[in-house]
Amino acid sequence: MNFSKLLLIFKREYITRIRTKAFIISTILAPLAIILLIAIPIVLSVMETEQRQIIGIQDEVNTVFPRLSDLNPDRYVLMSSVSVDSLRNLVLQETIDGYIIITEDLVQNNIDAELLYSGAGGINLIAEIRSDIRAALQDERLDRAEVGEGVKEILAQRTSLRTRKITETGDETTDTLALFMIGYIMCFIIYGAMFGYGAIIMRSVIEEKTSRIIEVITSSVKPFELLMGKVLGVGALGLTQFAIWSLSAAGLMAIAAPVAAYFMGGAEVPSQSGLDPQVAAELPFEIPVVGAELWITFILFFLLGYLMYSALFAAVGSAVDSESDSQQLMLPIMIPIIMPMLFLGRVAQDPGSTFSTITSLIPFFSPMLMPVRVAMTDVPAWEYFLSIALMFGTFLGLIWLSGRIYRVGILMYGKKASFSEMIKWVRYN
Amino acid sequence: MSVIEVQGVTKLFGTTKAVNDVSFSIEPGKIYGILGPNGAGKTTTIRMINYIMIPDSGEIRVHGELVSPKTQHLIGYMPEERGLYKKMKVGEQLMYLAQLKGMDYNTAKKAIWSWLERFEAETWVKKEISELSKGMQQKIQFIATVAHNPDIYIFDEPFSGLDPINSELLKEVILELKTAGKTVLFSTHRMEQVEQMCDDICLYSEGSKVLEGNLAKIKRSFGRNTVEFEFEGDGSFLDNIGGLRFNNRSNNFAEIVIENGLDPHALLKVALENVSIIRFEQVYPSVQEIFIQTVKYHSNKGVTA
Repeated sequence: MNFSKLLLIFKREYITRIRTKAFIISTILAPLAIILLIAIPIVLSVMETEQRQIIGIQDEVNTVFPRLSDLNPDRYVLMSSVSVDSLRNLVLQETIDGYIIITEDLVQNNIDAELLYSGAGGINLIAEIRSDIRAALQDERLDRAEVGEGVKEILAQRTSLRTRKITETGDETTDTLALFMIGYIMCFIIYGAMFGYGAIIMRSVIEEKTSRIIEVITSSVKPFELLMGKVLGVGALGLTQFAIWSLSAAGLMAIAAPVAAYFMGGAEVPSQSGLDPQVAAELPFEIPVVGAELWITFILFFLLGYLMYSALFAAVGSAVDSESDSQQLMLPIMIPIIMPMLFLGRVAQDPGSTFSTITSLIPFFSPMLMPVRVAMTDVPAWEYFLSIALMFGTFLGLIWLSGRIYRVGILMYGKKASFSEMIKWVRYN
Repeated sequence: MSVIEVQGVTKLFGTTKAVNDVSFSIEPGKIYGILGPNGAGKTTTIRMINYIMIPDSGEIRVHGELVSPKTQHLIGYMPEERGLYKKMKVGEQLMYLAQLKGMDYNTAKKAIWSWLERFEAETWVKKEISELSKGMQQKIQFIATVAHNPDIYIFDEPFSGLDPINSELLKEVILELKTAGKTVLFSTHRMEQVEQMCDDICLYSEGSKVLEGNLAKIKRSFGRNTVEFEFEGDGSFLDNIGGLRFNNRSNNFAEIVIENGLDPHALLKVALENVSIIRFEQVYPSVQEIFIQTVKYHSNKGVTA
């Protein structure tokens, strides 16, 4: 290993890439894409609730409708004087979306209410109406039973469960759901990064092959040095990109807090998480502070995962002539990247289980699964360091293997490699 | 001591012997030509000398040392498949490649500038390779090969794809390198360049060396049974003489190989009776003739064996 050559290659890969338009564009576009991915479902769900469905109520008891109307005045319309046939017609003509007949029988006996409707509105509507009817009938029955206010209050009470993690430094009030969300986001970022930066490596190898410079380069350096320099250079590029994103996110947060506070009409008291307490209260979970330990884990596992997968992508690149030929060989790389996503749910349910321990120790899965575990629970130090050691070992093995495939593959033009061919190349000198 | 020594080298691709037990050595200060048809194993041999591939058996030594990353620095190599980073600037690219060959920054800069001046290419420094014409790219490729001032130069098919001006320039520079005491190895199909430039040659056929040695000696060993004949008049009388083979033939010229021991003087006599002679010269066979004869002889032998 010649370090001055490694450094030269590293510098070239880093500097020529950081100056490209592609780097600037991807640095700007990637967070936008993530924001869009988060924002679109939220916007869509808001738009859905704005659509109003009208449900006709034929109230034979007269006291239930006001209760429903209290719950959702826009949805329920009193139609006691309309005949059942007319109600059917109104639904068919789409004047109303459905109707419910409230009978004395329904109030007195615990029987099912019946919604007759056009089918519009979907499961959300049905769930909402079910809960409205349930509440209205319960109130009606309680009033008829003449129970006191105290009993009503007791029935209205909902006990929820808060979680607090115990650590050696004292109790932390962080919510497990929030921790999972953080682990989940990190998992997805690493997942995306594996594909994104891996593809850069693959394209770079293919480019050197198609531009035929590769023979000049290999007459100066070892394939191992070239691959290593390339992988480290693009890795540094990835870190630069993450640094830019982190800093701009922190900057945005700092600006966003007072702005949000202004719009919410609250006092400008910046809280610890950078959010106005009033805004934070609206969220279904607390915004936890991402600790240094978790950041380091994220960066470390991102780097090691990137190194392992980029070695694989490099091997694919050196075995093919063009990107379109690479699809077939990509499949075995994509499977280990995608599989942790299937395990993610199980791991989140019980990050301390044997299943979680084993899957997060498998080097190809560690980059995605270990940060989730570290975010949610205290991973024993030996597991943590073992997975790092395993990933590092795998990386060295893979880059050695890729170097061998590379050595033969790069000089093979116009010939598509099969797996058996690649295995043969590994054994070649 | 020989500059390059190839000893009993064999390289297999699957079951095909791309190079089969080849040995030769190249002496300092010589221009050495490797000739042979396509697929004869020239490029594979050259790649092994450059330590891009490793022989299955046999050894290759450069300055007496087994090939290694260290010996790579002693060689300037221009592969048959030319290539540079398309999106990189000329100056940065040349600096990068020279430094990869172990040059320090300042020496590399000086060397590159003097070569750029030599080729009148100083103004291209800030341009990307993709902005240059093909001829310009070839010059940059050449500078990339020689900038680190090695002792040994290896050019694989250096004249293929070159326009006549660059071709002439390259020939000139290669001869200059020889004058400066450097050793040059190149492979080619272009026989006239071999004729004009090579001291020693090595001829390949189907992975094996079939002929090697000093070019002048080889020519002499083939004898002066070739006649270059330039004339005015109707040359069809030549067809009626048996035992002649024509290498090059046009209306007023024929390069004739006398195959059956016919006396060239007898041929001259017949010629005098039929046409007016401008030139009738007994010469050593051309490299092309030697090339064709040897390769044919060896591949026939291969078929019958």
